[in-house]
Amino acid sequence: MADCSACGAALETPLGCEACGIVLESPPESGPFDIFGLKPTWNVDERDLKRRLRRFGRIVHPDFHMGDPAQQALAETNSAALNRAFEVLLDPFLRADWILERLGGPSEQEERQMPQAFLMEVLDWNETLDAAEGAAADSPERQALDRLAETLTEERDARMQAIGRKLSPLPERGAPVLRTIRQELNAIRYLSRALYRIRDLRYGAGEI
Amino acid sequence: MGYIELDLLEETTRKIVIGIDLGTTNSLPAIWRDGRPEVLRVEGEPALVPSVVNFPEEGPPLVGHAARAQAVVDPRHTIFSIKRFMGRGLADARADARSLPFEVSENENGVLQIDVRGRKITPPEISALILRRVIEQAEEAFGGAEVQSAVITVPAYFDDAQRQATRDAARLAGIDVLRIVNEPTAASLAYGLDQGDAGTVAVYDLGGGTFDVSILSIEEGVFGVLATAGDTHLGGDDFDAALVDLMREELARDLPEEDLDDPAFLQAARLAAEKCKIALSGSPAHDLALSLPSSGTTWRRTVTREEFEQRIAPLVERTLDACRRCLSDAKLRADEVDEVVLVGGSTRVPAVRAAVEKLFGRPPHTGLDPDQVVALGAAAQAQVLMGGTRDILLMDVTPLSLGLETMGGAVAKLIERNSRVPCSHTEGFTTYVDGQTAIDFHIVQGERELAEDCRTLGRFRLSGIPPMAAGMARVAVRFHIDADGVLTVTAKEQTSGVAAEIECKPMHGLTDEEVEEMLAAGFENAQADFDARRVADLKAELGTMLRAVDKNQETARKQLDRETLEDLEEATQAARKAREGNDLDALVRSRDRLEQASQPLAAVLMDAVVKEAVTGKKLEDV
Repeated sequence: MADCSACGAALETPLGCEACGIVLESPPESGPFDIFGLKPTWNVDERDLKRRLRRFGRIVHPDFHMGDPAQQALAETNSAALNRAFEVLLDPFLRADWILERLGGPSEQEERQMPQAFLMEVLDWNETLDAAEGAAADSPERQALDRLAETLTEERDARMQAIGRKLSPLPERGAPVLRTIRQELNAIRYLSRALYRIRDLRYGAGEI
Repeated sequence: MGYIELDLLEETTRKIVIGIDLGTTNSLPAIWRDGRPEVLRVEGEPALVPSVVNFPEEGPPLVGHAARAQAVVDPRHTIFSIKRFMGRGLADARADARSLPFEVSENENGVLQIDVRGRKITPPEISALILRRVIEQAEEAFGGAEVQSAVITVPAYFDDAQRQATRDAARLAGIDVLRIVNEPTAASLAYGLDQGDAGTVAVYDLGGGTFDVSILSIEEGVFGVLATAGDTHLGGDDFDAALVDLMREELARDLPEEDLDDPAFLQAARLAAEKCKIALSGSPAHDLALSLPSSGTTWRRTVTREEFEQRIAPLVERTLDACRRCLSDAKLRADEVDEVVLVGGSTRVPAVRAAVEKLFGRPPHTGLDPDQVVALGAAAQAQVLMGGTRDILLMDVTPLSLGLETMGGAVAKLIERNSRVPCSHTEGFTTYVDGQTAIDFHIVQGERELAEDCRTLGRFRLSGIPPMAAGMARVAVRFHIDADGVLTVTAKEQTSGVAAEIECKPMHGLTDEEVEEMLAAGFENAQADFDARRVADLKAELGTMLRAVDKNQETARKQLDRETLEDLEEATQAARKAREGNDLDALVRSRDRLEQASQPLAAVLMDAVVKEAVTGKKLEDV
C-alpha cells in the first residue's frame, strides 16, 4: 500500500493515516479487502476484522474531524466506505457475492434458473408462513413456523459452508465452479428472505 | 497611601458545550467537567426540567415546573409530551388525540400545527421553548456562561423526519447542534465510563413516551451498536393512560361522555394516574384519586399493583418483542448478553424490571440514575466532539430500512436497518418512456414491503434529463446517512453529463423559510417583550417624578416665576396623560419634557438644601 501523502508513514488503510490522523482521498477502485489492508481470501478472522474496524474507525470517524469542513466531509465518505467494507467482509453472503463478481462469475441476474425441486420447496415454506400469519403464539401454525425456522437456518448454514469449501483457495478467474456458487447464493437469498419474514411474524415488523 | 484597585478585566462570557436529554416528560442538561460528566442544576432547584409548556393569557410562555403547575388550572393551554408529535402529521395526532387534547391542523408541508390562544404553533417551536429553558438552567448552573452548542439526544428508533424536527427545534432555540445522538447509545457511554469495557451490553430504555432497546459491544473504548429496535409511541405515558382508562370506565356510569373527553378532566386524570403509578412502584396498593372542582366530581378507589400490572402487561410484552427483534438482528441469544442496563424513569416499575430480568436471564444493572444517564452520556459525547479525546468512539446504526418506491408500489431497499452509520448506497435508475425528461422518486422508511405501509420521508423529482430513448438514461441516486442519522439524497444523470436538479420536499418537516420566519417572529416577540418592559419602567419613573413634583407644589408656586411654573404644570399634565397609555414614544417624550420643566424646581430645592446645611435650618423654615 502507498505511503501517507501528508507525513510519509506507511498506510494500513487507503482511507486515512494512523500516524498523522488525517483522512485521505482513497483510490476509487479500493475494494473491501484493500480498505481493511487484507489480501482477498475466503476465510476472514472475525476478531482481527473487528480490531481493524476499531482502529481505522478512530482515524476516519467524523467525530474526530469536527473542526475542518473538508476533512469532515471526507470522513463521512470514508466512514461510509469503511462500514460497507466491514459489512461485506463479515457477512459470508456479501463476501462470496463480492469475490464472485471480482473473479468474473455470473451475477444474480445472469444466473436466475433455480432447480424445480427447490422452487417447490419454497412454495411449501410460503404455505407455512401464510398459515402462521395472525396465528396465536402457542398455535400449531406457530409451532410449525418455529420448526421451519430451524430447518431453514440449518440449510442456509450448510449451503454457506459448501460455498466456503469451493472458495478456499479462491478458484481461477472465470472457473466453471463460479456458476455453481452463484446458484447456491441464489438459493441462500430465498432462505434469508423467508427467515427475515419469520422474524417479523414472530416479533412484529416494528411499527413506526 | 493606599490606592483603589480598579477591576478592569474585560467582561468575557465563558462559552460552554453541553449535552441535552430532550425527553418526553423531562429534559436535562449535563456537562463534562474535571474528567467526567455531571448534571447541570441550579443549587436548591430540581435538576429535571418538565417538558411542559403553558401559554398564559398575557406574557411569555411558561416552561418547566411553572408550566406543570398550570396543568390543572389551565389545561387548555398546557402542552405535555410534545415529543410524541415531532416530525409527525395530522393523522398521527388524531390517532393519539388523548395525548394532545387541542385543536390541530396541518400546514401545506404536512407539519402539525396546534391551536393555542388563536395562534398556530408547531411541535418544533414548542420543543425549542423547552430547549431554551434547559439552556437557561445550564447557563445559570455554570455561573452565567453561554451555551454555544450542544449534543442533543433522540430515541434510537426516531425516523428521519423526527430527527430533522429535533434539529429544527435546536435552530429555533438558537443553538448549534454538534450531534444528534441516540439515547440508548448515550446511556451506554455513561455506563461504559462508569464500568469500563463490559463486552456485550443491552440498553433497555423506557422513557415517558418512547421505547428503545440497543445491543452494543463495548471494547477498547469503542461503543459499537450491533442492533437497535423500539417503538416511538410506547412509554410511561401509556402506563398512565391505562389508569386513565380505568377511571373513564368506572366514571362512565356517572358522567356524560363529553365530560370524560374534556381536556380539564383528561389532564387531571392523567396527573392522578401518574401519581398513583409512581406510588405503586413502592407499595403494593395505592389510592387513585380524582377531584374536579369545576364539575364537583370527586372519585377515589384503591388500585393494587397486581391490577396495574395486569393493565400494562400488553405494553410490557411489546417492549419484549422489540428486544427479541433486536437480539435476532444482532445475531445473539439472550444469554450471550453480558449486562442489561436500565434507562428511563419507566424502568422503575417493578413489572418492567421483572420482565427484563426474565427475558435476559439476569438481574439488570441499576447502578445508574435512569433519569440522568442519557444526559451524562450526551455530555461525554460533546467532549469527544470538542476534540477532547479520541479514546471514546461511538459507532451507531440506522434503526430503519430506507428505500424507494418502485413501479407497482413495492419498496426497493437501498439501506437495510441496523446498517452502521455513516453509510452510503448508490442505485442506478433509468427512464421508462422515450423522451422522458424527469423521474419522480418517493423515499420511504420502514420495514414493510409496500411503500404505502412505510413512512414517506419525501418525494423528489429529478428533472433536466436530456430526451433520449427509454432505458438509455443512467441516473445514479445516492443515499447517504450521516453520523447524526440524517439522510441526504442526491441524484445525477450520468450519460449526458448535464447536471440534473434535485428537489426534495420533506414531509412533516419545516422548510428553511419557515424556520427563518419563526426565528424572525421570535425576534419580533422578543422586541415586543422588551418594549413592554421599557413601558413599565418608564411609567414607574414618571410616577416617582410626579410624586416629587406634587410634594413640592408649595415651593414651586412660591419660588418659581410664572412662565416656569406654567411650563412645569403643562409638562406634569402631559406626563399624567402619557402614563395612562402604553405608547413607548409618548412616555419617553413626556419623561424628557418633565425632566426639563422640573429642572428649575430642582435647582430651587437643591439651593434650599444647601442653605439648610449652612444655616442649620430646615427647608420648611426658609
